[in-house]
Amino acid sequence: MRILLVEDDELLGAGINDTLTRARHAVEWVRSGTQALAALQDAEFDLVVLDLGLPGLDGLEVLRRSRAGGSLTPVLVLSARDAPAQRVAGLDAGADDYLVKPFEVEELLARVRALGRRRRGAATNVLEHGRLRLDPATFAVTCDERPVALQRREFMLLEKLLASAGQVLSRAQLEESLYGWGGELESNAVDVHIHNLRKKLYPEVIRTVRGIGYVADPPAGAK
Amino acid sequence: MKRSIQAVLLGGTIAVLVAVLGGAAWVAYEAGQDEAEELFDARLATSARVLEALVARQLETATVAAPIVIALPEPLERLDDDVTSPLGHYYETKIAFQVRDESGRLLARSASAPETPLAPLLAGFSTQATWRVFSLRSGRVWVQAAESDDARDEMSGKLAWAAILPLLAGIPVVLLLLSLLIRYGLAPLSQLAARIAAREPGSVAPLRLSRTPEEIAPVLEALNGLLARVQAALERERRFTADAAHELRTPLAALQVHAQNAARAGSDAERRESLERMLAGLQRTTRLAAQMLALSRASAPRAAFAALSLEKLVREAAGQLGLPVEIHGDIVVSGDRDQLLSLVTNLLDNALRHGGGKVRVELAGTTLAVLDEGSGIPEAERERVFESYYRVPGAAGAGSGLGLAIVREIAAQHGARVEIGAGPGGRGTRVSVIFASSAAP
Repeated sequence: MRILLVEDDELLGAGINDTLTRARHAVEWVRSGTQALAALQDAEFDLVVLDLGLPGLDGLEVLRRSRAGGSLTPVLVLSARDAPAQRVAGLDAGADDYLVKPFEVEELLARVRALGRRRRGAATNVLEHGRLRLDPATFAVTCDERPVALQRREFMLLEKLLASAGQVLSRAQLEESLYGWGGELESNAVDVHIHNLRKKLYPEVIRTVRGIGYVADPPAGAK
Repeated sequence: MKRSIQAVLLGGTIAVLVAVLGGAAWVAYEAGQDEAEELFDARLATSARVLEALVARQLETATVAAPIVIALPEPLERLDDDVTSPLGHYYETKIAFQVRDESGRLLARSASAPETPLAPLLAGFSTQATWRVFSLRSGRVWVQAAESDDARDEMSGKLAWAAILPLLAGIPVVLLLLSLLIRYGLAPLSQLAARIAAREPGSVAPLRLSRTPEEIAPVLEALNGLLARVQAALERERRFTADAAHELRTPLAALQVHAQNAARAGSDAERRESLERMLAGLQRTTRLAAQMLALSRASAPRAAFAALSLEKLVREAAGQLGLPVEIHGDIVVSGDRDQLLSLVTNLLDNALRHGGGKVRVELAGTTLAVLDEGSGIPEAERERVFESYYRVPGAAGAGSGLGLAIVREIAAQHGARVEIGAGPGGRGTRVSVIFASSAAP
């Protein structure tokens, strides 16, 4: 998933960045509320991990403004403030979930998966797609019940395509799902990874839409 | 020795009251007796004159074989002394007269008078063994009227007592009223004691009395002032603890994340990276804890002060930080060595962390100034940077946000104030600690 991390503390930010990146998420890390609002305006994210104690523009204010601007992106709030009234204020300002510092890394990842699942409107974490099965919690991918070893970026691309099955994604959208905002990427990286996925799985898994991008067609028999 | 205010007031008042009343009674007694004596003397003289007019003239020409004795009715002798009867008065037995001729021969007397002469034949008042006598000469006859001394003493004594008794009878009433008044007057004191005794240990709300007399108001005010200061100190302590707990959460959360990242790492490279970040985080957290302790210590009661050279302290602090510092001048101030070293260290550390460029220290007059060539602190932030845990938004480096709070606290303990301004030419930051006075070197 493409995640916007808003955390002013360098140490904690680096930790969460590592956690999410290693869990095959594309993380964009900004350090202030103003930068967060700018990032949300510029690009599409699957999730925002927002620390409330930000210098300058407070986290709650960022949340209120982005919701007022019509953003529907799920927001997971991180806070050192654990009083019930503060959790309520956070949730009422538009947060989808609230996690109190310090927290377990496993719990953060589980909550991130849960928010992603809800965004897709799915009942389970596991993405089932015809002969394919992808588990974001274990990074396991199977094709016809047979495990397939995927590179990190291949997994991220496949997850993005399966999560938006039937929807044509541009090359730029796919690139964004690999890297955070402003990341460096070789111009043909997406094409190379798609080629590898077709080879490791089966050729029809991803269809090229000329001049636009790629799509994972819903499997025959699915609604 | 503990002495009750009530006992002192009551005892003192009784002593004064008894002395004044006693004096008054004595004066009344003496004056009463004198007046009675004068009145009695005048009556005695009048009696003698009446006798002279009515009796002596006849006796002068008459021939008296035996002295005429004028008797009193018998029952009069048996009457009580304060009862009148149709026959007369008991006191009549204490009044006597004699009429004698020039040679002293007795012509007439009252029954109450002796047969022997009452007094020598000399005109005027005289006092004999038991009689007060007035002698009057009329031609060849002497009239002597007399009154017995004991009757006079008894009567004037009674008069004086009648004046004193009401005063003496008033003493218990006055005492009772006084003790009630004193008790009422001192009630706010007992109420204050009771209120203090009934306090919960943690209660620091101001004390209130239903009635606050002028004398107790300063005590109450001082007590409430003390309570307010205790409350402020408790509040500060509570806030410090709450702030500390809150501020420790983020670094602890970060440490936990890095530790779990290391445990979950998919490769040695990832593990090493997480462990390195965790170490950096531990160093930062250790420093944060040290700064919290320093701030807590800075507000502790002051230790013994000594004269210290700030130039030496700056050199020592710079040495510990490994920071090359340009020092100009020297001043000697009176202070606590450890605290002032902590103040200097924090100032230099701030300049190093947030300033950058060359760090310069100027010591002149009563001022210690630390200058850096960094980006400076915006005017609007210059007061807020003293708040605990406050960091200038967008500031580089990961400070504890406590440095300047510690500096200000230590400065305050040394009677100094801290000012923040721009460096020379408006560049960088200049932090000045201005002491009230410099100590003699």
